[in-house]
Amino acid sequence: MFRTGSRRTHDTEPAAEALRLVKVSKTYGTDDSAVTALDGVTLCLGRGTFTAVMGPSGSGKSTLLQCAAGLDLPDSGIVRVDGTELTGGGEAELTRFRRGRIGFVFQQYNLLDTLTVAQNTVLPLKLAGQRVDRRRTREILTAVGLGDRLGHRPDQLSGGQRQRVAIARALVTEPRVIFADEPTGALDTRSARSVLRLLQDAVRVHGRTVVMVTHDPVAASYADSVLFLADGRLAGRMDDPTPDAVAERLAHLGDDTMAEV
Amino acid sequence: MFMLAMRSIRQRPGRFLATLLSAFLGAAVIMMFNSLYDTAGQAGVDPVSAETLTTSASVVGGYGTLLVFFAVASTLTVNVRQRAAELELLRCSGATPAQLRRMVVGEAVAVALVGAVPAIAPAVLGGRALLGMFQDSGQVARSVDHSFGPLALMSGVGITLLAAAGAAFLAVRRATRGHRRRGGARRFLAYAALLAGAMGALSTFAFSATDAALMAAPAYGAILLSVGFALLSPRLLKGVLDRLPLTGASGWLAVRNLRRRADHLAGILMSLILFTAVATATLYMQAVESDAVEASGLTKSVEAKNLETLNLTVVGIIVVFVCVMLVNSLYAATTYRGREFGQQRLAGATPGQVLGTVGVEGLILTVTGLFFGTVAALAGIIPFTVVRTDSVLPDQGLGIWLAVGAIAAAATLGTGLVTARRVLRTPAVGAVGLAA
Repeated sequence: MFRTGSRRTHDTEPAAEALRLVKVSKTYGTDDSAVTALDGVTLCLGRGTFTAVMGPSGSGKSTLLQCAAGLDLPDSGIVRVDGTELTGGGEAELTRFRRGRIGFVFQQYNLLDTLTVAQNTVLPLKLAGQRVDRRRTREILTAVGLGDRLGHRPDQLSGGQRQRVAIARALVTEPRVIFADEPTGALDTRSARSVLRLLQDAVRVHGRTVVMVTHDPVAASYADSVLFLADGRLAGRMDDPTPDAVAERLAHLGDDTMAEV
Repeated sequence: MFMLAMRSIRQRPGRFLATLLSAFLGAAVIMMFNSLYDTAGQAGVDPVSAETLTTSASVVGGYGTLLVFFAVASTLTVNVRQRAAELELLRCSGATPAQLRRMVVGEAVAVALVGAVPAIAPAVLGGRALLGMFQDSGQVARSVDHSFGPLALMSGVGITLLAAAGAAFLAVRRATRGHRRRGGARRFLAYAALLAGAMGALSTFAFSATDAALMAAPAYGAILLSVGFALLSPRLLKGVLDRLPLTGASGWLAVRNLRRRADHLAGILMSLILFTAVATATLYMQAVESDAVEASGLTKSVEAKNLETLNLTVVGIIVVFVCVMLVNSLYAATTYRGREFGQQRLAGATPGQVLGTVGVEGLILTVTGLFFGTVAALAGIIPFTVVRTDSVLPDQGLGIWLAVGAIAAAATLGTGLVTARRVLRTPAVGAVGLAA
């Protein structure tokens, strides 16, 4: 439903590797007050996978997401999205890199209050200078269960509905990778479940790649695999996660790193 | 609550800078001109000098008071609107609406006082310079000394404090009452001003070409018309937006932003309309008058000179004031949009596109303001020119109008773009997170 080949913004076939990070490091601050948020992280995520990134507060989850998504530049290391390396450059250049490759879903939705649901959804297309098809907009919003809310404003919607608009907006440009930062952090359990199912569908039905940062073991259990992060380093991986196993592992994450020291 | 008010000022003085600035400027203008009353009231001032002084004081002082009210009100409204979250938090923590009102009004009065007191020194100097100007042109006798008395001091401080308290009271009442729609009174006032303005402009034809008071009717007509347009500005803006076929991402976004924020931008449009109308109308009429006097070969009387000085002073003050207000409110409004800009950037807008959107918004505002301001000004200029000379339009050309337009455009676009550029320096993710 989301894939209409003719509207591709990039003609090449998707690469087998959706995301690759090689020895990515990022330090904030200088000298005495320097904090190493990422310390040589290397990882590779295949196309059509749903990965959760977990770790305690301050473990570098958000920094990892921002560096991988081209919102921030790492101090060192290589970031490849859909086979293309992310090189330095100004914000305009990074923005053009993200268009068509990367979609975002945030905890705080980040919908523009001045635009309607439909206008918010097509905003990335408008900004990229692409033609907007009304029928397709309706299709996408119907798929997230908001086909009857096209003319509403974000402040007339519930949190769960807003997050579904955000997902529709992330899907509209048919990006290779969707980054979700605590997408269920502000939602009740029912809305959270519908949002997680939509993300799952994006992967299973439409072949997108989803990377989701979360601290909720239940949310993480919707993913195909979980990456654990502690003190800026990868601290393990779990495939086919269950909430209990994830919670158990998370509870002992500190122990492992302590043992390493 | 008073303690809370003082604390909130001390913690974040920057937020009150706009109010402080308008209070300072306003108090300075009012005191400067009202000190002329004090000067005229001294023993031993001849009647001609006294009349010149009191006329200037009453005309410009009246304008000044109006402007101070307007300026302080607009900055305080923006201030209160941006603190909606803080006020909501206080309300949730158990503050009653009356307590909130006391807090905001207390802050406003304190800030106004801090702004008005340092204005005394420049007002004394300004008043002295003004008197010197009148003496140089022979309108006031050399023997008159400048006096800065109780009238100047009381009116300056009093009006500034009153304006601040009143404006804060209205703003916070609007904020704590929730989003109830009203505006019947506003619309009534707007139509009343338009009607009175049109009658004023038309009544020009009842005067003869050499009447001393000829300029008063069309001038007030133009000002009242511009006040009417200014009061209707949200509706005018919406009307303009519905007729704009803008394409391109920036234009598309700009039109949608403006349509939703029309009510918030009314203050900026209001300043633009008033500025254009008052400056254009006064300057053209004065130019026509001066040329007509020169053509007739007569020397200017004291009265005519008074009028010219007054006109130019009024325009000067209005230009400075409205520019400061424009820059003030536009700066505050744009700074506040950091989060919105961050959201646009995360949705795929380049910094250039965000600036483009701000630019288009500024352009639409400027053109709309210039258009309605010019209409109001022409309504005064045309009758005046027809009665005073034989032509319909002044033969001064477009120079003055272009200069007025250039100042308006520079202030609006310059402030918006420079501020937006600064706001864009915060990384998008940070900008979005700040208010979250």
